[in-house]
Amino acid sequence: MKLDLGNPAWRTTLPPSRSVASDAPVAACAFSRDGKIAAFALGDGRVRFLSADVKDAPAEAQEPLHKGAVLSLIADPLNDGFISGGDDGRLLRLAADGSATEIADHKGKWIDKLAAHRANGTVAASAGKMALVVDKAGEVREFGPHQSTVTGIDFSKDGSRIACSHYDGITIWSIGQVVLPPRRFAWRGSHVALKWSTDGKFIATGTQENDIHVWRIAQATDMRMAGYPAKVKSLSWSADARWLYTSSQPVFTAWPFAGKGPEGKPPLQFGDEGAGLITVVAAHPTAEFVAGGYDSGELQLGDIKMRRSVVLRMSDGSPVSAVAWSPDGFRLAVGNDNGDMLVVDLRR
Amino acid sequence: MAQAQVPVTVLTGYLGAGKTTLLNRILSEQHGKKYAVIVNEFGELGVDNDLVVNADEEVFEMNNGCICCTVRGDLIRIIEGLMKRKEKFDGILVETTGLADPGPVAQTFFTDDDVKARTRLDAIVTVVDAKHFLGQLKQGDEAEEQVAFADVILLNKTDLVSAEDLAKVEGKIKSINPYARLHRTQKSQIELAAILDKGAFDLKRILEFEPDFLEHGHDHDHGDEVASLSFTADKPVDPDKFQKWMGALLQLRGGDILRSKGILAIDGAPRRYVFQGVHMMMDADWGTPWKDGEKRASKLVFIGRNLDAENLKRGFEDCLK
Repeated sequence: MKLDLGNPAWRTTLPPSRSVASDAPVAACAFSRDGKIAAFALGDGRVRFLSADVKDAPAEAQEPLHKGAVLSLIADPLNDGFISGGDDGRLLRLAADGSATEIADHKGKWIDKLAAHRANGTVAASAGKMALVVDKAGEVREFGPHQSTVTGIDFSKDGSRIACSHYDGITIWSIGQVVLPPRRFAWRGSHVALKWSTDGKFIATGTQENDIHVWRIAQATDMRMAGYPAKVKSLSWSADARWLYTSSQPVFTAWPFAGKGPEGKPPLQFGDEGAGLITVVAAHPTAEFVAGGYDSGELQLGDIKMRRSVVLRMSDGSPVSAVAWSPDGFRLAVGNDNGDMLVVDLRR
Repeated sequence: MAQAQVPVTVLTGYLGAGKTTLLNRILSEQHGKKYAVIVNEFGELGVDNDLVVNADEEVFEMNNGCICCTVRGDLIRIIEGLMKRKEKFDGILVETTGLADPGPVAQTFFTDDDVKARTRLDAIVTVVDAKHFLGQLKQGDEAEEQVAFADVILLNKTDLVSAEDLAKVEGKIKSINPYARLHRTQKSQIELAAILDKGAFDLKRILEFEPDFLEHGHDHDHGDEVASLSFTADKPVDPDKFQKWMGALLQLRGGDILRSKGILAIDGAPRRYVFQGVHMMMDADWGTPWKDGEKRASKLVFIGRNLDAENLKRGFEDCLK
């Protein structure tokens, strides 16, 4: 089974999907490790679970887990549940049955950025100026303080380091038992998102000033890509690390990182122009596809090899705020500012 | 979906002036409204309210090489985060620390597109300690700049000074910023209507807010103290020349110009051209149409430091037809 955007069915009908509405904005969404549940972080403190099978009737909404808004959500690397962070400062581990246990409580701070390393079973979270790392035994260690609030966090490919974005650059910490001094990479201004490349060689950030910045870690060199009409808050590396997909353009926009890298080259832009700008971009977990949600509510699926895209959801005026792939790459979870939660089945 | 922009009130004032008292008053009053409050790390609110967010006043410098382009990145993040909540707010109050420069807070609302889409800067409210203000002026630039930036001033603790001293303090405040609405208060007691929803940064309401915009003229020589200057012209303004002059002026002197406002009669245009700026950042738009037979006069105001009245006057006059 594979995704084939050349199949004319993509042009005539939208793929099967299941949608559920809530009255609180969706801040994040994720599929569980086994791919059976799509979970959505909501602005009323709830985490809503939907079955990945779009034929299943949605389960009832549960009681709020966080006081205030749930700001971040990822799959639990240890089991088939999830990890959530909220503006109540709590970091929770959610079982597949919806029960929650508290990992950390940093009242007064927001837990708004999360990352996980699947093989090591570790989780990293932002908590104000600190970065938290939770090992597979549940032990929490703190790294920081950084000079300002941590705005992005990610693991290196082997999981031995984390990178945090903040004002005026990024900081890399070794999180092994041997404590090494942090490495800092400077670039002035406010960095608002961070993603470590899937091959571990590059770290990309989006900045407040409508551009992106990429560091080549081994050589400690850096590059800046400008020309976006808005802040680039969403970045996603392709599974093979050949492409860095970025939001904030009306078409899929990918910087080439194969070979000598993107210096002096324009980004590859492909697919049909959507309504508005892409707000969230998510590379396929294994193949050459990419999903993009727009500030108009439109959702597109792109194929970088074929340089084409198809529409998966029409615009409805509510900006897409979260997009996630199922681990097998055949389903998408999508959320928007309106509180709509959607699971799309891409098998044709 | 088009959402109404949430008004944001910035609450500033020197240490001990009465900001927290005012905040507690706003939060405990029965007004049926829902406010989110962003307090500084030292803020101690007496009212328990889960919509109180602690901020660290994280200021960053924009990458454009201009030292006056400083922005509160934490505010951008917090406002984005508040908008993820289910409940909607009637307003957001931002308290700054006593030693904070109001510039970066104000500039945040000129800089960030997401913040501009969701919120609007309503007014800067400055609480002044009547007893200690004159002394605070000598301790640094903060007390003076907080007054210079203000749209509304609460001259607080008036019960702790003599009538004579009060007049002296009020005179000093007016010499720094004659355009702000001044209220004499005790224990920060003030009607909420006097400080909330003032539309001071609303280009459409610049006239409404300052009907006597031009009544004051304070172009004395103040040395490096903060002062205000205003200019008027009866001849129409050449838009290209004005754009060029103002652009260069703010580029060059934006660090010293704290606030600027203007209503211009552009040559041949049926509507007023209104603008206002904080340091180098500026917002401009077409305002209400001129009425038939109405005198088309232009008005320009600067509040800042080291303002060269002669030079500014000449520059403005060169923009006239």
